Amino acid sequence: MTTENLASRMARLQAAINLEEGDRVPVALMMGATMPCRYKGISQGELYREPAKAQQAVFEVFDELGGYDAAGAGANASREENLLDAPMRIKVPGRDLPDDDPVQWEEIEVLTHEDYDKIIEQGWKDFMFEFYPRFRGWDPAEYHTRIETKATRDIKRQKEVMKVWEEKGIPVYQVSYVNTPLMMLSTCRSFVKFTMDIHRIPDKVEATMDAMIDDLIEISIKSVKDMGISPPTGIPAKSLVMERGGAFYYPLRIFERFEWPYTKKLVEAFIDEGIMPILHFDQDWTLNLPYLKELPRGKCLCQFDSCTDIFKAKEILRDHMCIMGDVSPSLLSLGTPEEVEAYCKKLIDIIGEGGGFILGVGCSVPTNAKFENLKAMVDTAKNYRPPRSA
Amino acid sequence: MSQLADALAALDEEEVAKLVREKIDAGVDAMSILNECRSGMDIVGERYKSGEYFLSELVVSGEIFKECMKVIEPHLKAGKQADTLAKMVLGTVKGDIHNIGKDIVNVLLGAAGFEVYDLGVDVEPRIFVEKLIETEAPILGMSGLLTPAFESMKETVKAVEAAGLRDKVRIIVGGGVVTELVGKYVGADRFTSDGLKGVEICKEFAKELK
Repeated sequence: MTTENLASRMARLQAAINLEEGDRVPVALMMGATMPCRYKGISQGELYREPAKAQQAVFEVFDELGGYDAAGAGANASREENLLDAPMRIKVPGRDLPDDDPVQWEEIEVLTHEDYDKIIEQGWKDFMFEFYPRFRGWDPAEYHTRIETKATRDIKRQKEVMKVWEEKGIPVYQVSYVNTPLMMLSTCRSFVKFTMDIHRIPDKVEATMDAMIDDLIEISIKSVKDMGISPPTGIPAKSLVMERGGAFYYPLRIFERFEWPYTKKLVEAFIDEGIMPILHFDQDWTLNLPYLKELPRGKCLCQFDSCTDIFKAKEILRDHMCIMGDVSPSLLSLGTPEEVEAYCKKLIDIIGEGGGFILGVGCSVPTNAKFENLKAMVDTAKNYRPPRSA
Repeated sequence: MSQLADALAALDEEEVAKLVREKIDAGVDAMSILNECRSGMDIVGERYKSGEYFLSELVVSGEIFKECMKVIEPHLKAGKQADTLAKMVLGTVKGDIHNIGKDIVNVLLGAAGFEVYDLGVDVEPRIFVEKLIETEAPILGMSGLLTPAFESMKETVKAVEAAGLRDKVRIIVGGGVVTELVGKYVGADRFTSDGLKGVEICKEFAKELK
């Protein structure tokens, strides 16, 4: 048995992304701090008040699981001010919610109908620089200082986290997110209102997205470069948060006009800069899968959350795009280790066949995932070899 | 099929508003106008089931239907409210504030003829039980998106049992990550992750209860 180290894990991860079969299927958990804190008896409120303690819980759970193959560097620092994230109202445990409730995002209309015109006129960045102080009730004069202070603090904290992963010999591949314009507007207008906007004023919605996209690309690339992740310790990557634009919500004609062109622009710009786009799909995107073949081969990673048919995804994306997923939140929180193991074996057998697969959870590790279920997942990836390679 | 039902099925908001207003002004019975709108909603539902329409079209049709009701409702004869299939209590469970799925289902249930008591989000088990007792509704719908919501759903089912109502109340749970495993775990009668299917299940409940 070879000794595991940064290089061996990186090679395994890179092989999957390159659509090759490595020594085995890599396993990577999108582990925020919510489950580790719950498991370690740290309240969800403390997670927000004491991010360093929460991050320590992540490392401890990682060690107790016996380690996995790749990690995100993000601590659970608040991303409230991040211009790439939707400015939704956040309900923080211990402040707005009982101390051990999970954090929640309240979907209310924070962007008004009139804001479309402002975004078209100003672009996303300048609009947000004006909007955020209004939204948060801050003095606009203090805004830039505040956001700069926060960015400096978050980058410093995340670099410290990356250092620990490096010492543990774990490559880092995922740090931060960008919402596609559709996802951003849908969550900020609220789903029903945004859907009616598309129905009633499609041209204005499209013009707004056109006015947003360059800023989203520019800020995204800068944020990845600021973090400085690169081989051999990690893969520079950016996640695209994709939920609302898929066929669970909208017909393909809406997707083709309001989601796909902007997704392609983000993906192509990232690839040009050597950044791996991670298409993070929530909800059912099965009908949209064929479009993914238009993206460059072997350059992206797509994550499924158990709602998309991952087996159909394999049929379509085989030899084209690395797939990650999709042990479901309900299985991780309610199932047994035996059930988890059986499902992981099925994924390794079918999705892992021929390479291009990373075993992962559906979306991120849920707060009340059972430790033994996560352990079953990690152990199955490490120990199980499908019959073809026996 | 009537012009009004067709216009609603085609999601032609302006045409629907014009036709409803014309019919009201011409003294057409409000109940028959409502039934034409419901026929339009039924077509939308059929198109959704066949894959021609998507969730967004259900939402748009629901919003158009709501606008129709604002005009029609004041003209429904006193004492003769719209025919109802059944009463139903609905809400997102304790510890979860997600409302999108629940709100969509609420509109679709209303359009299908249910009298819905929507308790909002983050609803405590005892609030569900109190509403079931107060309204004598025989159906309870619980929604949730987060995995901790499963515990709240289970607690609510237990509270319904403790109140001696379990054999009188059909329970359905729904939400983006609700699976058969979740339905069994919480002790619900049925489960769904599809809003329109949820409405169909409630229609089945209503039939069983007749």
